[in-house]
Amino acid sequence: METLQFALRKLLYSVPLLFGVTFISFFLMVYHGPDLTYTILGKNPTPEQIAEVHRELGYDQPFLKRYFLFLKEIITFDFGSSISSGEKVSSILKKSVPVSFMVALPAFILSNALGIILALYAANHRGKKNDKIIMVMAAGGMSVSFLMVVIAFQIMFCTSYGLVDWFPVQGWISPPPDYPDATTGEILYYYWYYYWSHVTVPTLASVFVALGYNTRFFRAVIVEELNKDYVRTARAYGVSNRKIMIKHVLKNALIPISTRIIITIPFVIIAGNLVVEKFFGIPGVGLVTYDAITNGDLPIVKAVVTSTAVLYVIALILTDIVYKMIDPRTSYNQ
Amino acid sequence: MRGISPPRSHLMMLFRTINLVTCLASVLLLTTCKRPFSDRAQDLSVFRFSENGAPVTMDPVQSATQYANLMTTSIYDQLYEYKYLARPYELKPRLAEAMPEVSEDGLTYTYRIKKGILFADNECFPAGKGREVTANDFVYSMRRLFDPKARSQGAWLWQGKIKGLDEWKEEGADYSKSIEGLKALDDYTIQIILNKPFPQLTYTFAMGFSSVTPREAVEYYGKEFGLNPVGSGPYKLKSFSTKKAILVRNENYREEIFSLEEEGYDPKTQSGFGLERLEGKKLPIMDTTEVYFMEESMTRWNSLNKGTEIHFGGIPTELTHMVAEELNPLVLKPKYAEKFTAMNLPDLGTVYLYLNMSDPKIGHHSDPEQNRRNLLLRKAISAAYDWPQRSRRFYNGTAALFPGTIPPGLDGYDEAFTPEMTEPDYEKAKAYLKEGGWNADNLPVLDYNGTASVQNKQMYEQFRGWMEKIGYPRKKIPYVSFATFGDFNKAVKQRNCTLIGMAWGLDYPDAENVLQLFYGPNGSPGSNSSNFNDPAYNEMFEKSVVMQPGPERTEIYKKLNQIIIDDVPAVCGISRNTPFIWHKNVVFLPSRNPHGSLFKYALVFDESDDQ
Repeated sequence: METLQFALRKLLYSVPLLFGVTFISFFLMVYHGPDLTYTILGKNPTPEQIAEVHRELGYDQPFLKRYFLFLKEIITFDFGSSISSGEKVSSILKKSVPVSFMVALPAFILSNALGIILALYAANHRGKKNDKIIMVMAAGGMSVSFLMVVIAFQIMFCTSYGLVDWFPVQGWISPPPDYPDATTGEILYYYWYYYWSHVTVPTLASVFVALGYNTRFFRAVIVEELNKDYVRTARAYGVSNRKIMIKHVLKNALIPISTRIIITIPFVIIAGNLVVEKFFGIPGVGLVTYDAITNGDLPIVKAVVTSTAVLYVIALILTDIVYKMIDPRTSYNQ
Repeated sequence: MRGISPPRSHLMMLFRTINLVTCLASVLLLTTCKRPFSDRAQDLSVFRFSENGAPVTMDPVQSATQYANLMTTSIYDQLYEYKYLARPYELKPRLAEAMPEVSEDGLTYTYRIKKGILFADNECFPAGKGREVTANDFVYSMRRLFDPKARSQGAWLWQGKIKGLDEWKEEGADYSKSIEGLKALDDYTIQIILNKPFPQLTYTFAMGFSSVTPREAVEYYGKEFGLNPVGSGPYKLKSFSTKKAILVRNENYREEIFSLEEEGYDPKTQSGFGLERLEGKKLPIMDTTEVYFMEESMTRWNSLNKGTEIHFGGIPTELTHMVAEELNPLVLKPKYAEKFTAMNLPDLGTVYLYLNMSDPKIGHHSDPEQNRRNLLLRKAISAAYDWPQRSRRFYNGTAALFPGTIPPGLDGYDEAFTPEMTEPDYEKAKAYLKEGGWNADNLPVLDYNGTASVQNKQMYEQFRGWMEKIGYPRKKIPYVSFATFGDFNKAVKQRNCTLIGMAWGLDYPDAENVLQLFYGPNGSPGSNSSNFNDPAYNEMFEKSVVMQPGPERTEIYKKLNQIIIDDVPAVCGISRNTPFIWHKNVVFLPSRNPHGSLFKYALVFDESDDQ
């Protein structure tokens, strides 16, 4: 009950934040975003057509009126239809968000899990050769451009002139073929097979880059914990190193670690990964958002901005709840 | 401290764990390597095509891009289409029974359409069964182009040309009202009455814009009609995303048999493409066409090279020298020639640098002296423009070079023109500047406009380099960059740009389509982006547009082209050649404007059958 009250209270406090985010993003979209009129009308518009489309898109309305309409859309969570394609925004997100999520999830889990393992190991050996090797590799991963990594991994794992030619260069799961006698098992296997064939290389590329950042951050947090008095005391008591690292150090380091992990969840769910989606031909929300921003497709941009802001607020609340779970001494009132 | 200084074996343990995980993953992978449904009979009738951009809608009235046109012309029928192989381009009936009957005054056109043509089955029809296409569907589709609610991008083609159509729009686009110049005389006869002769009319009925659309589908799908196209063409849409579209055979498609002779096959130039295999085949040949929208040229190349993914793609410019032995004509290196067929596809279009003639700094001026000096400045820019170098640097030296705005092969192109006429002449350019009294101090600032792409910036730097050679100070040619094409287009349409790099793909193979780019009344926001407004040109153009093809019209076209060369509202020009490449087991001859979709002719065959 206390947690629920806390969550509701936090949600209420975050309303001004949501107002701020939506107002700033709307201001930028209206005054600095592209004007879709000329894209819609093609190469030979007449002044009358331009005026018609301006009117239809609401470009001729005062800013505040347009902003209040946006707020109404947020409250009803109905952002209408894409200006470019006419498709309902909810339908676009329904199709693209799960795709981005499914692509990002394995990389998200692996980069965090491996990051923690490597950070624990490096912190435990801090200053030694193995620590240095891991840190140099992490810095290497961080220094290489993601674009380069994606192209290199695509060549290495997906082409005949790379290391192995095991995975498709690009694409996403197509609907299964229409075999009338296909069993559920076969259909599930079809999805399973093609899911992994399309997701493996993007996952490897994403892990390669994210692992460096995660390992360095997690190591720094763990090293800080290792310098605390309780660690020395535990050692004095003769507690085994493994127990100190896992049960005490990791547990106490979990607060900043979980903050970092949870805060990135909204971006995993909604923001997608533009580079991966572009190069691997994955129809995810990152690509949809990029196209919407460059084309000036306001309904989609509004929906993505709002969803990201709401999810971000939820992630912040979740972080506080996780703090309490990790350390029950934490008070919601502090 | 020994307690927390782990022995070396910890590192070994970590590596052992990683090895174990890798081995387990490999075993899992190996055990699941079996491709799903690999024990079933495989559907091999799939052609996998790729494009370097994606359409956002497949609504015919909004099919202005080549990507949208590609899709609409596969799904919908138009009255006419171009013969697959005939060059120069030649029309043939598609939905129409024959070529139109035209009245003597050139104002009344009668089109008869084929009987028994069915729309594809779709839930918008009663019981989901596609009904017969009638003349009323064509009339409805043409009206829709003028319906403001449809946000048409193609209405300009017929604007002011069909009797009563513009008025119908102004009076509120009420579909219950009749239009004098656009009627269905019966279920299979269409009558069009023009305000004045428009000899290119039938060409426009081969464009995706004029696709025949059933009203039921437009009303049933509403705003989402563009993603749920329903036509009577060879294919229907199975699925669509910004990355891939799957087209499957329209089971209601009529009996259409491929004939080399009817399609204008020329054994002298086309015998190396295996087109003979298509003879007698029922169209569409392949049951499924998958269209991949791949903006990243390297991804496209990797996918094509893999051998099991896309069948058709392009050669990235940066790899052309690695892949090709010769570029013009395109000859592949033996390693690639074993796997692929390739060709340089000429664009039916031109690339320009427009000079904004409404800008007093450079364009026409009310003061005769300034007008004279501006003309000399434009001539200097034109003389210093190095089209051959532009072709070498950006188009692998394969672009077709020609002076003026009419590309070679079109009526009105002066055969006396040679590519050498596009060579730069810096001394002549300097002489023009001197004659106009221009020097580094009084030369005006000329902003060069383009979208924020690396290639545009490179083209700008190249241009600035040429200008420097004739003494134009670098700082007087700034680059104005736009984040999107929409923003760039807006600035052009609002006459805010001085130098504008642009290209134009012809809508139909008639020079009128490029000459209208300089017709005064078409000034911005119309298609005349240079805002050229010369009374003599306008008068001659108006005379030519109502003329049927013939020597008199050809002469006028040549004169109009010469005015563009002499008065320099644009520096032109070249036509680009694009290198395309496809697998050896594919029979397909690519084409672009004014052709629409050619998917129905594509054949993928099993090479083992040949052995």
